[in-house]
Amino acid sequence: MTGRRIMTADEIRRATIRLSHEIVEKQAGAEGLLLVGIQRRGVPLARRIAAAIAENEAVDISVGALDITFYRDDLSLVAQQPVVKGTDLPFGIDGRTVVLVDDVLYTGRTIRAAMDALVDFGRPQAIRLAVLVDRGHRELPIRADHVGKNVPTSREEIVRVHLDEIDDEDGVEIERLVDAPLTAEPVA
Amino acid sequence: MTDLDLSRVWMVDPASGRDGPGDIVVRDGVLEAVTWLDGADADGVEPTGVVVAPGFVDLHAHFREPGNEDAETVATGLGAAAHGGFTTVCAMPNTTPALDEPGVLAAVRGAAAASGAPVELLAYGAVTAGRSGERLAALGELADAGVIGFSDDGEPVRSAAILRNALTYAGAFGLPIVDHAEDASQTEGAEANEGLVATVLGLRGWPAAAEEAAVARDLAILAEVGRDVSHARLHLTHLSTAGSLELVGRAKAAGLAVTCDVTPHHLALTDEWLAGARRFSWEAGTDGDPWRDDAIEAAPYSTALRVNPPLRTPADALACLAALADGTADAIATDHAPHTDVDKLVEFGEAANGISGLETALSLVLAAIDAGHLTLARAMEALTVGPARIVGRERALVEGQPADLVVFDRSDRWTVEPGALASKGKNTPLLGRELPGRVLLTMAAGRVAYEAPALVSA
Amino acid sequence: MTDVLDGRTEAPAADELMVPSVDAAPEAHAVGWRHRHMLDVDGLSTADIDLVMRTADAMREVLARPIAKVPALRGRNVTILFYEASTRTRVSFEVAAKNLSADVVNVTAATSSVTKGESLVDTVRTLEALGAQMLVMRHSASGAPYLAAEVFGGSVLNGGDGWHAHPTQALLDLYTIRSRLGSVAGKKVVILGDVLHSRVARSNIWTLTAADADLWLCGPTTLLRGFESWARRGVGGERRFQVTSSIDDALRDADVVMTLRIQRERMASGLLPSLREYAARYGLTASRLASAKPDALVMHPGPMNEGVEIAPDVAAGAQSVITDQVTNGVAIRMALLYLLAGVPRS
Repeated sequence: MTGRRIMTADEIRRATIRLSHEIVEKQAGAEGLLLVGIQRRGVPLARRIAAAIAENEAVDISVGALDITFYRDDLSLVAQQPVVKGTDLPFGIDGRTVVLVDDVLYTGRTIRAAMDALVDFGRPQAIRLAVLVDRGHRELPIRADHVGKNVPTSREEIVRVHLDEIDDEDGVEIERLVDAPLTAEPVA
Repeated sequence: MTDLDLSRVWMVDPASGRDGPGDIVVRDGVLEAVTWLDGADADGVEPTGVVVAPGFVDLHAHFREPGNEDAETVATGLGAAAHGGFTTVCAMPNTTPALDEPGVLAAVRGAAAASGAPVELLAYGAVTAGRSGERLAALGELADAGVIGFSDDGEPVRSAAILRNALTYAGAFGLPIVDHAEDASQTEGAEANEGLVATVLGLRGWPAAAEEAAVARDLAILAEVGRDVSHARLHLTHLSTAGSLELVGRAKAAGLAVTCDVTPHHLALTDEWLAGARRFSWEAGTDGDPWRDDAIEAAPYSTALRVNPPLRTPADALACLAALADGTADAIATDHAPHTDVDKLVEFGEAANGISGLETALSLVLAAIDAGHLTLARAMEALTVGPARIVGRERALVEGQPADLVVFDRSDRWTVEPGALASKGKNTPLLGRELPGRVLLTMAAGRVAYEAPALVSA
Repeated sequence: MTDVLDGRTEAPAADELMVPSVDAAPEAHAVGWRHRHMLDVDGLSTADIDLVMRTADAMREVLARPIAKVPALRGRNVTILFYEASTRTRVSFEVAAKNLSADVVNVTAATSSVTKGESLVDTVRTLEALGAQMLVMRHSASGAPYLAAEVFGGSVLNGGDGWHAHPTQALLDLYTIRSRLGSVAGKKVVILGDVLHSRVARSNIWTLTAADADLWLCGPTTLLRGFESWARRGVGGERRFQVTSSIDDALRDADVVMTLRIQRERMASGLLPSLREYAARYGLTASRLASAKPDALVMHPGPMNEGVEIAPDVAAGAQSVITDQVTNGVAIRMALLYLLAGVPRS
């Protein structure tokens, strides 16, 4: 971690549990729920939430992964980030309630791309959004239904979520960017 | 300016076999004094600075007039020759119409006169009428009109019977048959030298055997004809393979009346360039592999490289240099072949054959000298008395004669840009490249033919 | 960040930054697609090829969806310019571009002003003026796409040029072999047929030797002209392959047999006595295939002359992965169009 820590491993754990409660509460149960994590860190988050729901409700919720690489509105990022991590939705989404899960909600463009992708797979009854961190600065009319932590930020800052499954540790940090404001949109 | 004073320059006079420090004085276009320096006077004058030599003679150039003046006219061609240091150029007869009767020769000569260029234009007559290969052209009439030899260049003399008759008939005039040695049955649709590069690039191979078979055929015919016709002469132009030069070497040793020339591009460039390499033949070595040696610098398939005969392997190019050095090759001839963009800015297989070479010839030869593959003395011989003898001319720095000389600075360099070329033909693979040596002054028959923008007085 | 660049000569955009997105995996820093054109496989690094393979994996997943479409190339004009008749490859590119939501314009030489003698350069410039941003080209002259790339402001993707290269075919062949055998390293791969005139063979030589396959080329000696010398020198002076006119030596214990199409014109040009003799000596029949490994893959770039270079029962047999090649071809072409689209125009 090189920046300022704004969430510890424990805080992440508690937020995850709270998110799982909220999701079930909004659905008035676990029926018809699907969790779809947005690549990359939304996926382990979705799995954690599903595990928490399983512990509390004794129900196994299906978890899928959604890669929005091909749905971005900015192809100039391809040259820098061409690595595709993969979409895996091993279930039908028609008529179900899909809860998109992502680590950081920022401009909202990733979520817009995710919804575009989802509707190519079927017609869910409802799409909801759960995020670990909402850092503000929306550029599209998108809001999260469930938020782990609201973190006011400036555009010169970057929020990094580390998850043990990928980064060998849990934590959220915020760091000031050294360079001038970005000319290309970050994917968050 | 028909007066010139050059002191302490390096002079080369192949006719007398002398080269060294000297002074040159020209007055009213006449070479008034040629003074060889020695002892203390000669100290500090190196062959790496300003050099004076007799004006070069090009045995092989294509001026596209009449018929294709968009690509080159006699006037622009002679301008290019002067820029390259040439004071005599022999034009090939593959014009439209072909130069197969005196009327066309007169037109070409008329164009030369009208241009006012001091450079001397000599012309070949075609071997066959219309260059169609079927029957002899008016060889006698052409000889009377003053052609310096006969050639169907662009094409070989396809029929051995016709070649035999031509050698025999022209022997009576003592004029050479200049053959473009190519066995056309082996080169149908051919695009690039048969070899590794053609294989990798998927280009139709142009076998060395196609040239060597034709050379062998021509030499066998010359051997028989020469027994009866004592003045029968064969000149093989733009030889490009080691095998061809070896055949000529053996023929000469057997006393056959054969001469040959090689082009600057066959000395310095290789088929590697088609793959995008840009190193000279001596840099590649006899075992060059442009991919192994990581020598690829440019995009492949540059049509500026498409030429007949094709650029060969580095080993062939080095054999051409060696043949020049040991005298097997008598002359360097440019095979100057200008083309318009229309004919070159197309797919490689569709591109016209030819390199615009009059103005880069000296630089390529100097690069070979700098790399140690040729001496300055031998190179100057191959550019002056070597070719001059083949067309019955003299080339020497002789006091009292009209000045016919070239002054160039070996220590200077120039960049080949379209604007820097006097020829209409910008089809040279050397575009954008910096080359050694710069022609400062060319004088032909006592008049200035070319003068560099800033003349350096030594 | 300059560590993303792999030293290609196509310049990156001036304002390019490695965006420190939370989504970027650390290994993404090491890969980046910098090629503005896809003209040949000899310029691809191992990292490039791996990137194409992984992207093709993702494209296969897209192809398996109920709606096999993503909006990645929405608003892009992909013009397909084919100077040689070819239904399967042209359709494959068209499907690939459409699956990426691109606008596809099809130009087939026979119906265009090309037959009136319009030069390739003029045609390319005209198409660019009409909005072409990516050009997929097939031409009968080796090197033609390099000429197009010189005058075209967008990306050129070579769909086959003369005898020289067919990069998408070589990549889909490699992809097919890897998807079936896991890896191609050490596997005996035989390319059988008219190697001399084959751009498929030439491109596969580069990719398969780079992947350490034990590569063999086999065919009648007249159709192997020049390849013996190349084999002796190796690819780039190192990577070796074998050349033989003995089909028995070639097929023995092979893991993959890739058959090439033989064309009638080869007879006319005096290279072969007859098609019948070719089929008898070099046709891939079931009995010849039996000397390869029992689960050896049978491949063909298509279209096939069944009964000539390949027996019908072999083409349709259990070992044939020819239909895989077709499906994978769409995925590979989608992957390349996607990667090329990400490179800034000049």
